[in-house]
Amino acid sequence: MNKLEEEIQRLRQELDRKKEELTDLRKLVGKDVDREFPPAVEGMSDRELEIYLRDTIPLINSFVETKPDLRALKSHRKVFGRPVLAFKRAMLETTVRPLEEFIERQVKFNRQAAVLLQALHQRSGRYAARIKDLEEKIAGCEEDLALLKSDAGKK
Amino acid sequence: MTLPGTERGLTRTVERLARRDGIQAARNMLAKREIALGLRRPTLAVYDHAFQFIGGAQKYGLTMTAALGDMFDITLLANKEIKVADFKDWYGLDLSDCRVKIIKIPFFEARGGPHLDPAFVTRDIENPFHLVSRESGNYDVFVNNSMNEMVYPLAPVSVLICHFPERRPMSYFYADRYTRTVANSRYTAEWIGKKWGFAPHRLLYPPVDMEPGENGNAKKKIILSVARFEPEGFKRQREMIDAFLKLRRLRPEAVGDWRFVLAGGSQVKNAYLDRLREMIADSGGAVELYVNLPAADLKALYRDASIFWHMCGLNREDPGETEHFGMTAVEAMQNELVPVVYDGGGLPEIVDHGVNGFRVKSTAELIQRTLDLLAGPGRIAALGKAARDKARAFARSNFETTARSIFDEVLALLKAPEDPAAE
Repeated sequence: MNKLEEEIQRLRQELDRKKEELTDLRKLVGKDVDREFPPAVEGMSDRELEIYLRDTIPLINSFVETKPDLRALKSHRKVFGRPVLAFKRAMLETTVRPLEEFIERQVKFNRQAAVLLQALHQRSGRYAARIKDLEEKIAGCEEDLALLKSDAGKK
Repeated sequence: MTLPGTERGLTRTVERLARRDGIQAARNMLAKREIALGLRRPTLAVYDHAFQFIGGAQKYGLTMTAALGDMFDITLLANKEIKVADFKDWYGLDLSDCRVKIIKIPFFEARGGPHLDPAFVTRDIENPFHLVSRESGNYDVFVNNSMNEMVYPLAPVSVLICHFPERRPMSYFYADRYTRTVANSRYTAEWIGKKWGFAPHRLLYPPVDMEPGENGNAKKKIILSVARFEPEGFKRQREMIDAFLKLRRLRPEAVGDWRFVLAGGSQVKNAYLDRLREMIADSGGAVELYVNLPAADLKALYRDASIFWHMCGLNREDPGETEHFGMTAVEAMQNELVPVVYDGGGLPEIVDHGVNGFRVKSTAELIQRTLDLLAGPGRIAALGKAARDKARAFARSNFETTARSIFDEVLALLKAPEDPAAE
């Protein structure tokens, strides 16, 4: 084994040792490996759309109520927790109150939109079932027609 | 390649690369140099999360592996226990020279069961397949034969075998990170473009080896269907049985003593299969159903049958629910059966309409074409011979030749100089 080969072997062992120490893949490759992909709804098949709607509708429903909940405010500070919380509440009330009417209208819109989405989803499901039923009936008629054509061909 | 003339030059390059692009990039550079200098044989790992099951995709990956034995030191990577001897029984492949490494994935071990379904992995959890990603970096070439593009390839050269792009790019999507992508049909290649936005580098049709033995074909009045009894009914056996029973009921003089035989694999509990059994109960033996047949019995069915029906894709608009290639159609054609198949998915690449079989869009067309064939037995024989000729294109020997040429390119990439910017 020449010196170059020895050096390659040494470096490799060192790199293997360092690799063992790194549990995070990002550190191993020196960059972030993950990306965000927006849903490509346009090219989706009916099956893919159905899965997308099934996953998305509950998500949208969870965002319907946009009104800030003052009771949800919390502070983890032991000593200054109460005054910090009181300050936060006061600030939020001051900023939210003038916008209350708009927020109410937004919430109403959100509720209507969520119900509408649910209704459209239900209707599209019923249509799909009816189309499937009709397709089967048409297929039966086409089969009968094929048999008649075959008979006509023989005569 | 600006080869460092001295060991110190090499050390500096490796350290710089490790700082800039990470440990793995430095390790890959060293691996490539070892191969270029001829210091050792290149290593190759083939991964499939479903090696423990008998399947077309697994046969594809392992046949490819067997063809590369003299080019690489090969390791099979799996997530569940596998035995190389099983591959001899299942596919007739001798892979005894391959090492096996099992990488258990705790996320799926906790779920239990033999099947690892990547669909359970969402962005809410850490990618459990990164255990395989890490392992991929320990080889010169990493081949991912899984329908699972959540494995991030770390080897200097990587190959993704795509049997069909099931998922669209979403959480943990790395298909475009592989050095080379191979598609199993033009249909798959087309959908890789549509769903993933890039074109695969090479096309490699699956290997099909169902040629008849020396006894030849003693053809009988049998219409055959060979397809898995999928619980979702994707293979359309119900529609085919309906069509045959209608044909038999309304045109008994044309059907005569022709039988319709369906064969295929199935899981133990299968409500769809139960329904098919109910459908054929009153057929008086004109429709027969065989589940999980031994290979020899299936071969005998191919030998005896005259016409082959395959309607997977009928009334489906999702590209994943159509045949991505259609191996059983080729098996049938190798045995001189006349294929009457659904005109969609990968099947148009196999069957030339009117030349060596027929492609149909509906059960009405299926009935029409079949009636035409039943009326002229001479036509069955002529089309069967043409079908056999076409099927030669998909023989195992062709598959092996193409696979080796793909990996000749892979080896050239492995031996190619590194990016000068890395030096």
